Amino acid sequence: MKKNTFYLFIGCIALALLAIFWYSVEIHNPLLIEVAFILGIVIIYLTRRKVTDLIEDERSAKISEKAAMRTFQVFWVVFCAFSIGAVMQLLRVPSFPRVRNAEPPLNILPLEIMPLKLMGYVQLGLLCLMIFLYVGFRFYYARKYGDWETDEE
Amino acid sequence: MPENTGIGRPMKNKIKVFRAMHDMTQEDLAQTIGVTRQTILAIEKGKYVPSLDLAFRIARHFNVNIEEVFTYDEEVRFVEVD
Repeated sequence: MKKNTFYLFIGCIALALLAIFWYSVEIHNPLLIEVAFILGIVIIYLTRRKVTDLIEDERSAKISEKAAMRTFQVFWVVFCAFSIGAVMQLLRVPSFPRVRNAEPPLNILPLEIMPLKLMGYVQLGLLCLMIFLYVGFRFYYARKYGDWETDEE
Repeated sequence: MPENTGIGRPMKNKIKVFRAMHDMTQEDLAQTIGVTRQTILAIEKGKYVPSLDLAFRIARHFNVNIEEVFTYDEEVRFVEVD
């Protein structure tokens, strides 16, 4: 398989996944898109092996490796900061009365636990952040290791 | 131990010279040793330091010792931090 055919194939898979996504929204079945997404990625990985003119040498491997490592280094800090904030909402900090012999408050405020739906949006946001970080670092290292160098030839 | 007299990239190479001697383009050399043309270009310009494996393959292709193609300038301080 040629490289361009492979890219077209990825586009087709993406379109199919988009259609399945909207269908699963309509029938209220998240399992459908989840299974379809995993299958789509597996098919892409398997098809990639059959591409003949896609040369991946040690320099491109190094670019990918460096970009992935830097993405991980930044992402875990952001993810950890967010997780700490989320845990803080789950923990109830005991409040002590400032005045002696003061009566404890009668009504305790309910815990502000993040709704499950909002959690999905946050996860999606973090995933987008990871993708943007990876693409950004990839551009940076590709430039650093001479991807867009030109010469007289 | 020699003093650091300069800042730059200590690994130099003569791939361009050897290519010219063998009348080869970057694309020809890249195809022969199984890398992309961009990799040959990046090595020639000093943007990328090849692995020992790739360096040996390049030298073997030109039928010379590795030291004839790649030289290490100890007086140049390596500044790359990554």
